[in-house]
Amino acid sequence: MSSTTQQADRIRSIDDLEVIVDTDFHLTERQEDIFPYLESPFDEMLNTQGGDDYGYLGRVYPAHGMVYSVTMGKADSETVRTADDIQKGKDLIEWDKAIATPTQNLYLGAVHHDDLAAALATAYNNWLLDEVIDTDNGVYGAAIVAPQKPVEAAEEVDRRADEDGIVAVMIPSGSVDPTLGNERYYPLYEACERAGLPIKMHNAGGTMMTRFPSTWKSMNRALPVHATSHNMMHQTNLADMITQGVPERFPDLEFVIQEAGLGWYPYFMRRMDHDYMGAKWDAPMLEKLPSEYLKDQFYLTSQPVEGADDPQYLNQITRLFEGEDNLMFSSDYPHFDFDNTDELLKILRSEFSSEEIQNIYGKTAERVYDFD
Amino acid sequence: MATNDTQNPETDGLHHVASADELEEGERIIADVEGREVAVFNSNGDLYALSNYCPHQGGPACEGLLSGTLEVDEDEDLVWSCEDEIVACPWHGWEFDVTDGRHTASDKYRLPTYDVREIDGELYVGL
Repeated sequence: MSSTTQQADRIRSIDDLEVIVDTDFHLTERQEDIFPYLESPFDEMLNTQGGDDYGYLGRVYPAHGMVYSVTMGKADSETVRTADDIQKGKDLIEWDKAIATPTQNLYLGAVHHDDLAAALATAYNNWLLDEVIDTDNGVYGAAIVAPQKPVEAAEEVDRRADEDGIVAVMIPSGSVDPTLGNERYYPLYEACERAGLPIKMHNAGGTMMTRFPSTWKSMNRALPVHATSHNMMHQTNLADMITQGVPERFPDLEFVIQEAGLGWYPYFMRRMDHDYMGAKWDAPMLEKLPSEYLKDQFYLTSQPVEGADDPQYLNQITRLFEGEDNLMFSSDYPHFDFDNTDELLKILRSEFSSEEIQNIYGKTAERVYDFD
Repeated sequence: MATNDTQNPETDGLHHVASADELEEGERIIADVEGREVAVFNSNGDLYALSNYCPHQGGPACEGLLSGTLEVDEDEDLVWSCEDEIVACPWHGWEFDVTDGRHTASDKYRLPTYDVREIDGELYVGL
């Protein structure tokens, strides 16, 4: 949807869209795709007749070890390695343009052998250019780089900058260590800027645990830790508690989640429901949707309220997790970042009824804490 | 392929799908009935007919794996159950109970079910 000159007709279906761009169209690359493009010395080391027949490249990437729908055969995962495969996906999604991104190489940043990781990035990009990118058919690609070797990554960007169809640089960001603010990445950023290419960041579920514990140390300032750690840790704990059935096993127990902000919570409810709908078998204890447990047995306290200068945001976010029943006022006084008592009220009174405000400011707490 | 058998009052209003011996236990037939894709399952010897349209994103819900699901027993131990009664949509893995069309995780979603009968060795579906 590009221009402002279009008539203001409502979009009723994708047929009304002027152009569809799929910005994360995944390839399912395998070692037999990548190995022929390896450069020396890994070419001589790995393109041999030896080894086993398991597709041993997979061993250098970490595996999350989870049973999931595709391994169980409950959902299909199409192979996308050839022009025909891509056409099949294009016909299904009906995109006009797509940016191809990897699958196995989402884990590239967690590969233990740094030099091999850089070599694999180069080989993947060679394969991408030879076999995948087809700008006449709308197929573009992101050149991947190995964050383990930022200088080599910068050289890789320089090498690909002018290639037709390379429209981005991709950092497999789920496993970076240190985190991406570190100065060691500056050469890579300079190269991307020089090339005029945006950077795509893409996590993989299985890479999180290779780095999460060390992320705190990696962020060598207070602000990024404070802004992310509260909600990250709550999400991690809550996801596990709900999946394992804690609120189902203890239906009379209530939980109060404190000091993590609000916006992540409606997101988290919906993300959990979304994933659960395709994996009931992975949370067999549950008798209802994850969001229903959250609404029935979990409460948020208000401080710190992000976005207090944006009443529309805050009212909407609060409605989205049924804050009229699940939000309890808190100030965090005397911490330096405490909220004044009327901070929230000034906003919520434009959206919520008096009764709902009473709930948020005390009635709900009276019920949860049973002060008598 | 659906035809009306007007010779037999028993089959009036029903649509012929296949011969019963074409549908072995654990198998399914996807039939076009009056423009609708209807799946007829033989699940553990019983017949069920469901719509082949996933309410999630329109995938071919009944063409996926027919298997079971994981549940917990009274001692909260994990048990594999409902073998051959759960069909998973191959698009995103949404699972439905073929015996009543219900989504395994939410009563908000279900596949429409249809009357299915075996008459003189032939399978019929009523919309």
